Amino acid sequence: MSLPANTDLGYTPPDGGWGWAVVFGASISVGFAYAFPKAFTVYFKELRMDFNVSYSQIAWVTSIMCATTYGGGPISSILVNRFGSRPVVIFGGLLCGIGMISAAFCTSILQLYICVGVISGFGLALNLQPSVIIIGKYFLKRRPIANGLAMAGSPVMLSTLAPLNQFLFDNFGWRGSFFILGAILLNCCVAGALFRPIGMAADPVQKQTIKQAEKTVKEQPNNSSIEMVPPKTVSLLSGTEDEEDKDCCEKFNKYLDFSLFKHRGFLIYLIGNVLMFLGFFAPIVFLAPYAKHLGIDEYSAAFLLSILAIVDMIARPITGIIANSKWVRPKIQYFFSFSIAFNGACHLLCPLATGYTGLVIYSVFFGLGFGMVCAMLFETLMDLVGAARFTSAVGLVTIAECCTILLGPPIGGTLIDTFGDYKYMFIKCGAVMVLAGTFLFIMNYYNYRMLAKEERERKATEETMKDNKHIRTETEDGNIWAKEKMQDGPEVEPLTDEKEGLKKEVNGKSEV
Amino acid sequence: MRGSGSGSGPGSMRLRLLLSLAALWLSDANEPGTAMTTRDINQQTRESISDYTVKGHDLSTPGSHLSTQDFNQQTEENISNLTSAMYSISIDGFSSAPVEENVTLYSPANITLLCSLTRTSTDSATVEVTWKKDNERVESSNVTINEIQNAWSTQYTLKIRDRNQMGNYACVFKSDQEVKATFHLQVPQIEGKDHHVVSYVGDSVVLVCKSLKYIPINWIWYMSNGSDQVAVNDSLMPDKYIVDEKYANITKLKILKISEKDDRSYWCQAVFKLGESKGKVSLKVLTYMTPLKPFLAIAAEVIILVAIIFLYEMYSKKKQMHAEDEKEFEQIEQLKSEDSNGVENSTTRHRKV
Repeated sequence: MSLPANTDLGYTPPDGGWGWAVVFGASISVGFAYAFPKAFTVYFKELRMDFNVSYSQIAWVTSIMCATTYGGGPISSILVNRFGSRPVVIFGGLLCGIGMISAAFCTSILQLYICVGVISGFGLALNLQPSVIIIGKYFLKRRPIANGLAMAGSPVMLSTLAPLNQFLFDNFGWRGSFFILGAILLNCCVAGALFRPIGMAADPVQKQTIKQAEKTVKEQPNNSSIEMVPPKTVSLLSGTEDEEDKDCCEKFNKYLDFSLFKHRGFLIYLIGNVLMFLGFFAPIVFLAPYAKHLGIDEYSAAFLLSILAIVDMIARPITGIIANSKWVRPKIQYFFSFSIAFNGACHLLCPLATGYTGLVIYSVFFGLGFGMVCAMLFETLMDLVGAARFTSAVGLVTIAECCTILLGPPIGGTLIDTFGDYKYMFIKCGAVMVLAGTFLFIMNYYNYRMLAKEERERKATEETMKDNKHIRTETEDGNIWAKEKMQDGPEVEPLTDEKEGLKKEVNGKSEV
Repeated sequence: MRGSGSGSGPGSMRLRLLLSLAALWLSDANEPGTAMTTRDINQQTRESISDYTVKGHDLSTPGSHLSTQDFNQQTEENISNLTSAMYSISIDGFSSAPVEENVTLYSPANITLLCSLTRTSTDSATVEVTWKKDNERVESSNVTINEIQNAWSTQYTLKIRDRNQMGNYACVFKSDQEVKATFHLQVPQIEGKDHHVVSYVGDSVVLVCKSLKYIPINWIWYMSNGSDQVAVNDSLMPDKYIVDEKYANITKLKILKISEKDDRSYWCQAVFKLGESKGKVSLKVLTYMTPLKPFLAIAAEVIILVAIIFLYEMYSKKKQMHAEDEKEFEQIEQLKSEDSNGVENSTTRHRKV
């Protein structure tokens, strides 16, 4: 299979032009969504003292923020389905800003949970999903590169936000910093402004035929003209009537497509990813403490994370380019499973690293694996469900991942506390990820085979349908239906090429 | 004192001297019981020691010898109460720069300061070794000097009991040139904060001082008033200052209802047995106006960028619509002409059927 037959958007994505501005905006949005909770930990020490709470109570702030960012996925999807990406992102940016500004005036830890955790977290949710969605609308052939570049925003933003937070804190205290961060988060609105809506703006040729059809209908108001009007325009003109016939289930599906749960590829992705996230973030959280546990000083331990971030930053666009190449793109799911398993193998080998050099090597490979997985995280989902249904898919996936993302580090922490040794945490993370990678590899192999089989069946039925047409035209039957068919035939011919894409769309849905 | 070779005689004398000194230490031990039993013995040893110093090296007063034997038993039990430590500096020859070392003493202890100077072949045979406390020469029988094959070394044993004994002790080696090494005896340093703590008018802030390894007896907070330091009295002003001493090695000063007058340095003083040590924490008070300026600057930047993007989009849409209208016009003309041909074609098709 060359390109997946997921041109079900109804138009050809531009694959460039304004799309690169969209990628830039998306990288800013994605960067804020992923990096902001991580960079926020700079304020923990001071907040602990000022509010007189324990470390775990203050850590809840970022946990709630992460939970809302992922849990808000479905709502984000519904809003994008209804309003499009741009208004949602601008509203999300405003919400983040308001959340942080109100956090500057907080007097208790509970207020901090609400302002920073819930409000800003939800604002970030309204940033993350639409940014990823709109890339699928602007790119097709170069989508992996676009995804890789957009996801590269996360480590770049983290490297910028962490020192910036420290600088703001030193000069303005935590209240002033939150106030200014509110303004900085408003930049998400700038990113949102870049998300120019693109959609069923029909091709110019189709536009012409529609206009022409409307004119001919006006000029020749008799029955015979109906035969001259191409069938597609008829359906477009009477499209509004069809909508009323849909029942409420289908209407809801328009906003959030629950029929995805019957989609084989989607289920495979969901199960594999939910499993993977159980061991994905814990090693990052515990890398610096592990280094300090081995006797390495604080600054060198922090430097390990910097190495990780730098390798991550480089790995993401490069993975995008590799994933876009003609050898990898058709089998991108295998590449994704491989990168997950590679990540897992890194973690399994980490306990062997006992010195600083060993940990540096581990950080490099970890950064590489982490970047590879993150760059392809959404690309593979788009590849499986197609850009049209991606909107709902991403919402459903993020809310399912939410649980395991939050459970991962605490489970790792419990393992460390029970056994007093970090290696069990690494072994658990490594084992989970290798398992997830293997699962995805096997299931995607099965999925590719089934898709190939269905493609063959579809082509076979197409052939038989075409043959049937030719047979019918040769009969000397007198019925009107046959005549109309004959009359339809030649006029329909010029438009068949444009309709091919739509036919594929119809068939694509029927595969599912 | 001149350097001399070490022999068994002075060596064993020295050992006995040390042991009798150990008996003296018992007087400062924290166990009252033993102190009482050894008190009268100590007096005797003090007298006998003064005999030692007067008489020089050849000491063999039987009385004292007996008393030290009695003490030995006592000292073995009590010697573990006080810490003994040795601190040494090696100097690499006469031409090296003066060396310094910090010695942190938490409580009364017995310390031995050892200086050794490596000797080169070009150095002269005789060297004058002196010890100085705070640049004043010290004469003490607790000093020993040795000369080994390639180094001179000197040892000064001290029993540190009170704060007067803290200071700088320097060993000076002098022949043609002079070289010295200094030991700074000091109480544990307190960690304040390097960077100022920022807070806002009307807010409250917590200033923290920590003593990492050693637990002070007491903490006292001072605030700077011009060039003076005034004690912070938290009992007088309980709604302004609260001192929290939940843990003995961390002290927290909470200042409530901050005003601009509170923008000054605060000192936390830890009181130890052998002295005090201070840490500095400075507080910077800002008004809400201070972060407002960067905020407004960034908000303005966001609004300007969004406006530019939207304006550019409208402009490019207008251009596109103009171009499209022109194309449409052309295409409609084209289709119209095709239309007229098309009608003829379809009618011919009809006929064929």
